[in-house]
Amino acid sequence: MVNGNKNILRSVLILSYIILIGGVIYGISAVFSYLNTGADRSKMLHTEIKKVDQYVPKLMWESLSNEGRPMDTQTLKALENDYLDAWYVKQVAYKTNITEGLKDYYTDNARKNLYDFIDLNTNTGITIESTTLEHHPKVEFFSEDGQQAVITDHNVIEYKRVFKAEKLVLETTEVATYKIVFLLEDGFWRIRHLVKERVENYKDKKDLILTKNLKIKGINYYPRATPWDMFGETFSKDTIANDFKIIKEAGLNSVRIFVQYEDFGKANVDKTKLEKLKQTLDVAKANNLKVVITLFDFYGDYSVLDWTLNQRHAETIVSNLKNHPALLAWDIKNEPDLDFESRHKELVIAWLDKMIDLVKSVDDKHPVTIGWSNTISASILKEKVDFVSFHYYEDLDVLEKKVENLKLETPNKLIAITEFGLSSYKGLWNPFGNNKESQANYHKKAQGIFNDNDISFMSWTLYDFMQIPKEVVGRLPWRKRAQEYFGFIDQNGETKPAFKYISKP
Amino acid sequence: MQYKLTYIFLLGLILLSSYTVAQNNENTDLKLFTSTTNFEAGKMVVLKFSTSQAIKPLLYCANSYGSTIVSPSLKNNILQYVIPKNMTQKIGVVNWEIIEDTISVTGKFNINPKAEVAVMETYIGPPSIEAGGTDYTMLVVIPTDALDNPIAENTIVNAKHQFLASEKTEAISTKNLIAYKNVYSQKTSGRILMASECLNTNSKEFTVHVTPAVPTDFTITARQSHQYADGNQVTTFITSVLKDKHNNVVSDGTFVTFFITNTNGDILKTSGTTINGVATSKMIHPDHEEQWHIKAYVTGMAESNTIILNYKQVILDFDVVFSKNNRDITIGHLQSFLNQTIPDGLQVKLSIYKNNKRIESYTKTSREGFVHFNLKHHVFKNATYKIIIKTAGLEKIYKSKTLW
Repeated sequence: MVNGNKNILRSVLILSYIILIGGVIYGISAVFSYLNTGADRSKMLHTEIKKVDQYVPKLMWESLSNEGRPMDTQTLKALENDYLDAWYVKQVAYKTNITEGLKDYYTDNARKNLYDFIDLNTNTGITIESTTLEHHPKVEFFSEDGQQAVITDHNVIEYKRVFKAEKLVLETTEVATYKIVFLLEDGFWRIRHLVKERVENYKDKKDLILTKNLKIKGINYYPRATPWDMFGETFSKDTIANDFKIIKEAGLNSVRIFVQYEDFGKANVDKTKLEKLKQTLDVAKANNLKVVITLFDFYGDYSVLDWTLNQRHAETIVSNLKNHPALLAWDIKNEPDLDFESRHKELVIAWLDKMIDLVKSVDDKHPVTIGWSNTISASILKEKVDFVSFHYYEDLDVLEKKVENLKLETPNKLIAITEFGLSSYKGLWNPFGNNKESQANYHKKAQGIFNDNDISFMSWTLYDFMQIPKEVVGRLPWRKRAQEYFGFIDQNGETKPAFKYISKP
Repeated sequence: MQYKLTYIFLLGLILLSSYTVAQNNENTDLKLFTSTTNFEAGKMVVLKFSTSQAIKPLLYCANSYGSTIVSPSLKNNILQYVIPKNMTQKIGVVNWEIIEDTISVTGKFNINPKAEVAVMETYIGPPSIEAGGTDYTMLVVIPTDALDNPIAENTIVNAKHQFLASEKTEAISTKNLIAYKNVYSQKTSGRILMASECLNTNSKEFTVHVTPAVPTDFTITARQSHQYADGNQVTTFITSVLKDKHNNVVSDGTFVTFFITNTNGDILKTSGTTINGVATSKMIHPDHEEQWHIKAYVTGMAESNTIILNYKQVILDFDVVFSKNNRDITIGHLQSFLNQTIPDGLQVKLSIYKNNKRIESYTKTSREGFVHFNLKHHVFKNATYKIIIKTAGLEKIYKSKTLW
């Protein structure tokens, strides 16, 4: 017994000694290696480009015919940059009531006017979130020595949300014309005088596209191996061509695909991804399928100062694809109503409203919709969308009633269910779930309702997926598992019973 | 002139006063009875509404620089909104809206600049221009009122400038918040003084330099104390007065380069800058007979004629004495053109060859008419060498000198 205790004591002592020494050596080596790392040579010259796009409203210069010295494009670009930065710092200043940054873009006398406003608004508890969406400036005058310039900025679309005591009191969109005198000081084109010459209320453009006769029989599509990462490294035209062939042969006429905002490079759209998207549409064309492109997937900010970046993103994609023969429609955002709670309903709706205007200003041929997550939200912005679309994962028995109500609200517009489906997952995380048979019955029933009521549909989805990124349904395993089994074709590539009812009852 | 001013002023007033803004106050018991829609900057603006209800909705208003919210005061069924001072002081359109869900009352009014000028903000550039009548400078004036607002469109600004005997006043009018005038140079160089005036407020004085244009071709001369190639005196090159095509003397400091080409075709270069149009530059005489061709340039602009200078040989012959086993070589007495000892510093070059291969050469300068060389034992072993001595363009060859 005594011997045993001694041995235990010995081994504890030796072990703790080893651990202690190990710790000390590790510590010394960490300090040593830290002291041995020098500055990275490549960073010595600070050559990295630090400019980040923060404020990129649509800006179109009128053709140059100014008085004074002829304007050159380089100066014009510098003027444009500083002018937009001036707007940006002003928006930030009025949002936070802090004067940071104003000095660089407004001269001593001009910035006093902004400071006065900030004082006034600070004292009365007013903050203003605002942005401008369009500028149409014209150079009126450029001085011979290149130190002064005057521009008239026509029809600036200004969107403002005015808060008093942190409560939204007014949301307004104005169209204003400004005359601005700039002075070149310290290398900055600073605003010296700013005069609002005209202002009107913004009027929506309401050129709707008739969609009554459209008949969508489609499916939401992601490749089997790379769901939610369709345009990544593993993008394969052949895989997509193969899948589209299956879809076409199953009697469907369209697919719904997703463009992720960040993945596509935000305001500076990644050209290679755009090319892959174009190739996808080419494949669809080859298979005689039409494509609904859903923009802004995985985007959830909506903050007013982010709008100009969002709009440039949408503008690039829409303008590049608007003439593609396979394009069917633009779905502005997937289930934006899910962000109502966290991002404020009015803000999300205003964002959608302005985004529809932008997409329509670029592409007036293809219909626009919003993929609402349920029928209750589906009538929001019904005047603005060309057809109403929503997702339906609820009880099929009440579907007819809900569609009927929606039809009463939005006559003369196509109503499409752009997502519906049932997971055939039954297992550890959901022992009472549906099996493949009940999935097949669900689709049979749904197709019956669609057929009887002439409803356009797009089902979720072609494949059972093996991996669901956490951004889609979160990390919870029962959600992930369920999401993996919505397909008509299982993970082994075998068609499930529901496949029979993919396009007809 | 006076009539024109009055006319423009009246026309401006008529235009301003005829500017009315549509009001949209349907379905409401809020009635705006502030009918004025034009206010002078700095004047108090109060929007008054008659109302039957005791509601006090907020008023949103926005001007050129920003937006805010105004709370009303309600007295005897009259709602009063006092527009903040910082908004009434800046010109431009102010749009407003009553924030009330059930009614929509909106409108706008104009703040116009005061009919007075407090500051003549003046910019002139470029600050120097070229004489000749084609180059010009621009006067930009931003007349502002006491509240730092640019004054009304089409206000007359008198641009005045003086140059030599001429004094001119020209009326220009404000447009796009500024007024500007191009002022052209004349044929003579000098200074233009400028000022401006608007509504009886005068600006400061501004100066623009009219610099001479680029020089035209010129001539050069050389001045030297004698024509001998003594390697000691200097020759001075002088340009004629450099002038532009309008006969203005070019600016001081114009850079002139003299290129000297010698008999061998080598080029020597010297340069100077002009003072009062004349540039001078110097070059030391050669130490042997030479012919120099000299031409001067103002690079890229003008050039001179070519002059030729001949330098006469001063040393016709020189003595060489070998001593101390032929290892001590003394050259001299070197004498100049008056048989005087040549001034210290004449170069003498000694080259030593063995088997027609040069093994060493030394250069020394004369001192009191003599040059000494000493050929050391450890460098030059006892043998026979060829020795060449050169000075003042002359050469003496000793084909085989034995050193021991």
